[in-house]
Amino acid sequence: MESIFSFCFAVLITPLLPAVIQKTKAFFAGKQGPPLLINYFTLIKLFKKGSVYSTSTSFVFQMGPVVGCATSLMMLLFFPLAGAAPIFSFHGDVLILFYLMGLGRFFTILAALDTASPFEGMGAAREAFFSTLAEATVFGILVLFYRLSGSLSFAEFFSSTSPINLSGAHAALLILVFIALYIVMLTENSRVPVDDPATHLELTMIHEVMILDHSGPDLALIELGAWLKLLFYAAFLTRIVDLFHFQNFWLNSLYFYAVVTFIYVTIGTVESITARLKMNMVPKFILTPFALVFFATILTMELIK
Amino acid sequence: MNTLFTALVIILAGGALALLFSRRFVLMKMATIGTTSTGCVIGLLYSISHLLGYQAAIEKSWSWLHFFTLAFKVDSIALFFLVPIFTISPLALMYSFHYMENTEKSFRTAVNYFFFAVLVASMALVVTAANMITFVLAWELMSLSSYFLVVFDYQVKENRQAGYLYFIFAQGGAMLLFAAFALLYHSTGSFDFSSFSSIPEGPKLLIFILAFLGFGSKAGIFPLHIWLPKAHPAAPSHISAIMSGVMIKMGIYGIFRMYLLLDAATPLIGQIVLVVGMITGILGVVYALAKQDIKELLAYSSVENIGIILIGLGIGMVGVSEKNQAMAFFGFAGAFLHVFNHSIFKSLLFMGAGAVLHKAKSKNINQLGGLMKRMPITGKTFLAGSVAISGLPPFSGFIGEFLIYYGAFHGVSNHRLSFILAILAIVTLAVIGGLATACFTKVVGLAFLGEPRTEKAARATEAGLSINLVMIFMAIVCLVIGVIPEPFIRLSFAGIQGIAFTAGYNTREFMVIVDHISQTAVFFIGLVFFIGLLRKFLYKKKEIGSGGTWGCGFTQPTVRMQYTGTSYAAEMIDFYRPFVPTKTHYSGINKIFPGKTTWDTKVEDVAEIYYQRYLTQPILLVMNHLRWIQHGKIQLYIAYIVLTIIILLCLL
Repeated sequence: MESIFSFCFAVLITPLLPAVIQKTKAFFAGKQGPPLLINYFTLIKLFKKGSVYSTSTSFVFQMGPVVGCATSLMMLLFFPLAGAAPIFSFHGDVLILFYLMGLGRFFTILAALDTASPFEGMGAAREAFFSTLAEATVFGILVLFYRLSGSLSFAEFFSSTSPINLSGAHAALLILVFIALYIVMLTENSRVPVDDPATHLELTMIHEVMILDHSGPDLALIELGAWLKLLFYAAFLTRIVDLFHFQNFWLNSLYFYAVVTFIYVTIGTVESITARLKMNMVPKFILTPFALVFFATILTMELIK
Repeated sequence: MNTLFTALVIILAGGALALLFSRRFVLMKMATIGTTSTGCVIGLLYSISHLLGYQAAIEKSWSWLHFFTLAFKVDSIALFFLVPIFTISPLALMYSFHYMENTEKSFRTAVNYFFFAVLVASMALVVTAANMITFVLAWELMSLSSYFLVVFDYQVKENRQAGYLYFIFAQGGAMLLFAAFALLYHSTGSFDFSSFSSIPEGPKLLIFILAFLGFGSKAGIFPLHIWLPKAHPAAPSHISAIMSGVMIKMGIYGIFRMYLLLDAATPLIGQIVLVVGMITGILGVVYALAKQDIKELLAYSSVENIGIILIGLGIGMVGVSEKNQAMAFFGFAGAFLHVFNHSIFKSLLFMGAGAVLHKAKSKNINQLGGLMKRMPITGKTFLAGSVAISGLPPFSGFIGEFLIYYGAFHGVSNHRLSFILAILAIVTLAVIGGLATACFTKVVGLAFLGEPRTEKAARATEAGLSINLVMIFMAIVCLVIGVIPEPFIRLSFAGIQGIAFTAGYNTREFMVIVDHISQTAVFFIGLVFFIGLLRKFLYKKKEIGSGGTWGCGFTQPTVRMQYTGTSYAAEMIDFYRPFVPTKTHYSGINKIFPGKTTWDTKVEDVAEIYYQRYLTQPILLVMNHLRWIQHGKIQLYIAYIVLTIIILLCLL
């Protein structure tokens, strides 16, 4: 029951959290910023609208948002949010989930290419490239977590006999992992310094340019999917630094979302104080976390016999 | 076993029928396809039923020419490899009914069907052979028959060259194989396979490496792969399908069989196979990404998948030498399942490429586009095959890779080198997966989606009935394996039960996971449908307009502005530059009023460059000095022969 409640709450709160980033950025810019509920208004607005489809597109274009949103939802269904057990969980679920995320990307890229637009093709090529690099880091992290906790599922990572937690025995390694995963989060969710969601020029975009032709409810599904994905990564990070554990579910949830919000604030801070990287610097930036994770994994060779 | 031989006789009879009826084109096709397929179905039923109810290996031998013995042995591994042979062959044949339509080439088509039947039978003999003589005979028969299949369109110069290259690699590989067999015969004095393990430890590694290179040239390991991207575009599409889907797996079979027979104690064998697998996988997919010819791209993608299979085998072998039963079990089982899965989706993709070539008259991605609307069945089945080959759930490719991952993760608890190898294998598989996604979004997104880039692509229509039916069937199989993987996983488990080390491994725990995967796949499909319905509901009574693609303010878009395969892959290729050299020719702008400028960029195979520089050219140099031997005088040629015989007599 707690699991289902936790999941529903997460889905409901998803649109609220990115507004925190916008608020943080507004704070740094000395502006008031949009209201916290801005994304709910956006969703409602989009859901009310109809759509215009390009004559170049086929059914794949309409499948893109649906598959993308579904894969993001799957991630949250399997993730232990706020101390509650996830709705589904089994040994090995991380593999199928990260591959499902790949499926979402597959269809997002195809939907972009379906429009025959050179800009969207450009965004698609970048998305495909950067995600292959990020994939290496993600699986490096999975190897390390398996080595530390002996499990291959999100739920077991944090509930096994030697859980993945900053207060545990392997805190030093987990700091490296935390940084790595943070960078992966920025990459996979098209945030600064890899991609700038607020940029004004199509040529420099990655994610935003891929969805130029989507409108109405389709666009709403894409946005929702993107927010859910960001929440998944933020939740993943939160569970790693989960220092306190309360007996009470409500206290746990409160604490969990406080940390999640803090992570969103840090994203906003990063976006406010750094500029995006030049496109040819991005691969180096994305490979940095892989180096960190690989180093952390090598360290376990002697630590854990 | 008699059933199996009956099936082979029927298959060969089908081939003979083709020659018999070569004047009646349609009758010939029907007769040969019908007969050969019947034989295949009998063989398939035989192998599956024996595999699931496997008890012990069945042996049979005949004496031949008084001196040799032809020995056959059907064990679980042989049975497993028979399954893709007998599954893909009838499908490829049915596909060919509407694919081989040129009545003017009636006799040639008949010959093609004949060699097809010979190829199928010889592959079945390769996996059942139990001594060197039988194996070599079957192996050569397989190489030769497939050579004739490749050079079907022999008037085209490139095709002859491709066939020649394939011939060189097939025979060069066979020579290495003979060398390995000679060493074995030298120390055992027996042709029998079962005597291999008795030889001393010392030469085992050398023998394995020789055999690995020999079989590897057939399988297409890097850098012995260069015949694949030449031969596959040259061959008719159903031939590419059977060669890429099934025949190159005979190389994998050979490597695995040799490994089992030698039973060497050195851990080096597993490590070599694993590392070669990783290199082959990564470079295969990067080259696939770089190529614009769909069939060439698919050939490189086969190289990639051979890499994945070798990673699986390598994980298994490392598991054996580390005494890690789970790692060995899942490594081998994953490799086996991937052999089967790959045979299906790769054949499907080659058939799709064939249909495109047939109807849009081009296999270059940069000249296609928008085919999803014009060839919806080809497009949708190709999409299914692409998702499957990228290893994405809920399609078949994921299941095989999941098993390999699962084995590799068990290796993470190892120590030192095998630990690092396990990590590298996992990360490599992930990177290969990502690159395969990039590669196949490129094919589907640029060839099938968007706007047609040429007139011919715009005029394409759906291919013939038999072509579509086969492709639909295969696409469904890809989905079924992904959603209900259990029977197929059991089949691969049954295939490896002949391996002593992993025998008796308890799979009950894993089968629970398989159940969960299946449920997750079903749930995911349900979720997609649910969101799809929700979307339909949201669009109810809404205004749906249509217009041109938003060109970011540009009002004069043309189809030539679309992203091309070259531009899509450019950044990714650049990242792997030292291994994937790009040759660019740019005419430059050198006048005040620029005239016509050209830009031409091409990715060249690094293996090919090095072969040319360090192998072909030196050989040519030496051979040029020996030209005088070939003078065309018959008397002297006879003298050569006499001289050779005298020398041989003196030596022996």
